[in-house]
Amino acid sequence: MPDFSPIDFAVPFFVVLVLIEMIWARRRRPESYEPRDTLTSLAFGLGSSVAGLVTGGAVLALSLWLYQFRIFDFGDEWWSVWWAWPLCFVLDDLGYYVFHRCAHRVRWFWASHVNHHSSQHYNLSTALRQSWTGFFALSFIFRIPLTLVGFHPAMILFVGAFNLIYQFWIHTEAIGRMPRWFEAVMNTPSHHRVHHATNPLYLDRNYAGTFIVWDRLFGTFQAETESERIRYGIVRQLGTFNLLWSVFHEWVGIAQDVWRAPWRHKLPYLWRPPGWTHDGSRETSDMIRERWLEHGRAASDDMEKTVPNDNPIAGQEKPA
Amino acid sequence: MGAAAQFVASLAAILVLAWIAHRMGLGRDVRIRDADHAKGLADEVICGFAADDAAVDDAGRAALVRDRNGRTVLIKVHGAQFSGRLLGAGSTASVREDHGRTVLEIDTGERLFGRVTLDIDRPDNWVQCINPAKAGHHA
Ligand SMILES: [Zn+2]
Ligand SMILES: [Zn+2]
Repeated sequence: MPDFSPIDFAVPFFVVLVLIEMIWARRRRPESYEPRDTLTSLAFGLGSSVAGLVTGGAVLALSLWLYQFRIFDFGDEWWSVWWAWPLCFVLDDLGYYVFHRCAHRVRWFWASHVNHHSSQHYNLSTALRQSWTGFFALSFIFRIPLTLVGFHPAMILFVGAFNLIYQFWIHTEAIGRMPRWFEAVMNTPSHHRVHHATNPLYLDRNYAGTFIVWDRLFGTFQAETESERIRYGIVRQLGTFNLLWSVFHEWVGIAQDVWRAPWRHKLPYLWRPPGWTHDGSRETSDMIRERWLEHGRAASDDMEKTVPNDNPIAGQEKPA
Repeated sequence: MGAAAQFVASLAAILVLAWIAHRMGLGRDVRIRDADHAKGLADEVICGFAADDAAVDDAGRAALVRDRNGRTVLIKVHGAQFSGRLLGAGSTASVREDHGRTVLEIDTGERLFGRVTLDIDRPDNWVQCINPAKAGHHA
């Protein structure tokens, strides 16, 4: 078993890049950082890696046990099958897309993933804002199919780590658009800003990890437009920098909803989309988008709109 | 490196990074400019919120926005951004004296969202629409 964690080696580069982005921010967009938010995001990253250390062994043991039931066998020297590595990366990225889509559409998974989205800022420190409760939420089940296909758990861990490292650099406002061919295939800062936005047009879009093609393929792609000034975060902003509340608020919310709901309505609070209620007292992202579209139609009946350039980032032609 | 040493080193690194962000003066001092600004922010809290009336705190740190159906949205400055809540059954409003001024204090019912104090004109009007049951009673 190779005892090598690519993320450990990437951390010093993360720190240097965050510093470089801060220098950029000071000159160009000081509001893209907020020191208290930065501290919370970085603490999320540290806590998440501790949680990973604690639970990683159990996930690996489970994966190794499941590996014996694999459909295809790459042999004892599975690591020497060169084409298995890129294939594993691409399939794992597809698995990430499925996980990520569920993480936004099923409240149980959202309760963990919301950690990554609860900052109202979008910068490289936001990338390190990773969940503490991924194991508890059973997020690892999305990687099981790959093990059953026949990819060795160590290979899956390895490519998964590189996928996570790839996603680091896209959390920035310092880069406008990448070259067209790149934007067509890869996930980019522009595509992922859309994913972190709460603007109704952007809600629940661009679930990609590394390749944006999955969103284009499965109808969840939305390009960043110049007319929308992006608002980052979640529909109901936390309004606090408190770390523990930021980590657990949605789990507390689920517990309260299940407790208060009548018996036959309890379970749907676990698997329905975030914002769903049995009495319609809150809104899901679909409902918000629907109402926004209605308003838009009403407004455009009133006047011919001239589209202002409200998004100074999308307007940039080249990376800054 | 041992796991404990690595943890301590990482903790030190994140504190240093946040301190650097602070020393660089990152972030910004945001204020709610006027009633129109507050109404726009209310629309960001509740998409399509048809704002009718708004009151902005003297220092621009918070605002209240009301729609035709009597719903009220509270907005506060949060770091370099804004954060808001539609005030529901769990929210209460009260008027009190603060350094010789009459201010309105809102408790959203959410401990971590915190209490919000507004220095606005005619705070009694807002007390009445936020907690109609307690209208007339001042803390
Ligand atoms: Zn997400
Ligand atoms: Zn992200």
